Amino acid sequence: MSKPVAWLTRWEVFLLIVLIVTLVCGSQASRYFLTTSNLSIALAGMMPVAIVALSMTLIIITGEIDISVGSIIGLCASAMAVCLEQGLPVEVAMLAGVAVGMLAGFINGAIVVFGALPSLVVTIGTLALYRGMAQIALKERGVSNFPEWYQDIGFGTVAGTPIPWSLTIFLPMSALFAIYLHKTHWGRALFAIGNNREAARFSGIGVKRAILGVFVASGIMSSLAAIVLTAYLASARSDTAIGLELPVITAVVLGGVNIFGGAGTLVGVFIALLVLAFVQNALGLAGVTPEEQQIVTGVVLVATLIVFGSSAVLKNARASLGRLRPRG
Amino acid sequence: MPWPARFDGRLLRLQELRLLLALGIIGLAVALREPRFLGAANLEQVALSATLVCIVAVGEALVIIARQVDLSVGAIVATSAFVSAEWLERNPEGSLVFVLLIGCGVGLAMGAGNALLVALFRIPAIIATLGTLAIYRGGVIVYAGGRQISATVLPDSYGHIADIHILGIPLLVWLATLLTIAVGAAARFTRTGRNLYSLGSNPEGARLAGINEPGHIALVFVLSGLLCGLVGVLWGARFGTVDAVLAPDLNLQAISAVVVGGVSIFGGSGTVYGAAIGAVIFAVLQNGVQLLGINQFWLQAVVGTAILVTVFLYSFFARRTERIQREQRRSRPEPARLAARPDAGI
Repeated sequence: MSKPVAWLTRWEVFLLIVLIVTLVCGSQASRYFLTTSNLSIALAGMMPVAIVALSMTLIIITGEIDISVGSIIGLCASAMAVCLEQGLPVEVAMLAGVAVGMLAGFINGAIVVFGALPSLVVTIGTLALYRGMAQIALKERGVSNFPEWYQDIGFGTVAGTPIPWSLTIFLPMSALFAIYLHKTHWGRALFAIGNNREAARFSGIGVKRAILGVFVASGIMSSLAAIVLTAYLASARSDTAIGLELPVITAVVLGGVNIFGGAGTLVGVFIALLVLAFVQNALGLAGVTPEEQQIVTGVVLVATLIVFGSSAVLKNARASLGRLRPRG
Repeated sequence: MPWPARFDGRLLRLQELRLLLALGIIGLAVALREPRFLGAANLEQVALSATLVCIVAVGEALVIIARQVDLSVGAIVATSAFVSAEWLERNPEGSLVFVLLIGCGVGLAMGAGNALLVALFRIPAIIATLGTLAIYRGGVIVYAGGRQISATVLPDSYGHIADIHILGIPLLVWLATLLTIAVGAAARFTRTGRNLYSLGSNPEGARLAGINEPGHIALVFVLSGLLCGLVGVLWGARFGTVDAVLAPDLNLQAISAVVVGGVSIFGGSGTVYGAAIGAVIFAVLQNGVQLLGINQFWLQAVVGTAILVTVFLYSFFARRTERIQREQRRSRPEPARLAARPDAGI
């Protein structure tokens, strides 16, 4: 295959086409869809998921998974709420939230690395544990006495422009993650670990440190998402972000990252996040309920993978036809 | 010989006995603090709350043994419960057998949907069932439209299913026990059952040995769906009220029970019995937290800690067994003719 054709068959290009189709359909569905204020709202609503999806991409490329991100967000939100209840300034609460997130991610990574345990099981355990700690800390209380500027992080836009404040957190972060993953040798190492952990170890890659690192990154990004989400909801509760891991993993997988590790790009995840944000927004404008949106999201996920998988089915069919064909 | 090795020697090598021991210790600890735990009424409540998760965990155990995972179980249970209860609401004179068939049919169809995606389209199970989780759950919520079907509009005979006792033990408990034993025996003694273990421990090798991989994978997903359909019908009978959002985290409960029950998340080892005991352990923990007057907010943290502690212990035991076996191999020289064969190391 010549080079431009190979480029055209890339997953990211396919996603880009899906994105354009979404934008066209959306503009047909409602005349408010392509207004700047609506696009700004669509992006702001997606930001908590988008921020966590960055670190989740790294984790899945490494061949691990972190189911506990929603619970880490809940724990960070509780930590911030407790700080605010103690009368501490909101800046200190935010720092405490980030520290708690980092610690939670470190604990995940440490158990996975030093216990040599499967991350799926470990993070199912910490999913319950962190949510439980959030509930113990905050019970049924909710804290919502945030200052005005803090709530702007979730809803407000940069003065005079339609750009949501949360996007100014996400964009630099995504640039940072993309450079780390695709332009540094540490990023290449993550792909190597995801492809063949043993070989990566023998070629001198610090596998344990790398895995610990991506889990800590996941904790930190979850705490940032907690800040954005509590600002967006204007309240911090222990049940914040229950089930957030599902849209995050959906976005990462839709972005073309191999669930078994070793392949994927942040550009793909980026486009997939845009697709999901605009699909949900367009459906919302068309009067579709959140539950029906959930069905559509599921169908989009499964359908894109059938497109992926059907190529494998065809390949298999061709292979078995080849076997049936008489030789010589 | 130091005592742990000897103590570990025979019976305790059986994982299920270790689990029963753990269950006994937890039960004893709760009973010592709160004797009411051992009351017949309380034990019956514990058993009843374990049964529904237990049946789902049995199906999930087969799925995980075959190196797959089914995240959509809670959504299937909710759909089956709602659809069958709604039919019963419209046909109060209808036969309960038919309700059971409807529920199981719904579960079967949804399990077949999962099977299609994983076995035919080769989508990794964790993603395929993540997608169907969204589709099924969204579907039943849209279908139900926020409606709740309560016991008052359902015929009494439906709710009575949960009250039937045989030899003093609730019918549901009998059902769960028999199902566990039947599925466990099938996994242990039938060719299909052994094939599931082969597929789980070495898919490539199993394929080369001529095992029909897509067929077996389809089978476990259909079975899991069928069991979820059954649980949906029982759910309505036990709790009376049915809505579209019931059992929101049943998938995590079932997977936790399976993992704590000693089934490797990477497939190929563990038993259905272990998963069933795992479900009972969580029911006892939940009941214990309630009985001991511990704040209910602690429950999640206790459950999470229990999962982490068990996986730690499993990995500890597995590594020790490996070390002991390695040392035994080293101390016992291999027979010369075996060592001389080129494939002796395999």
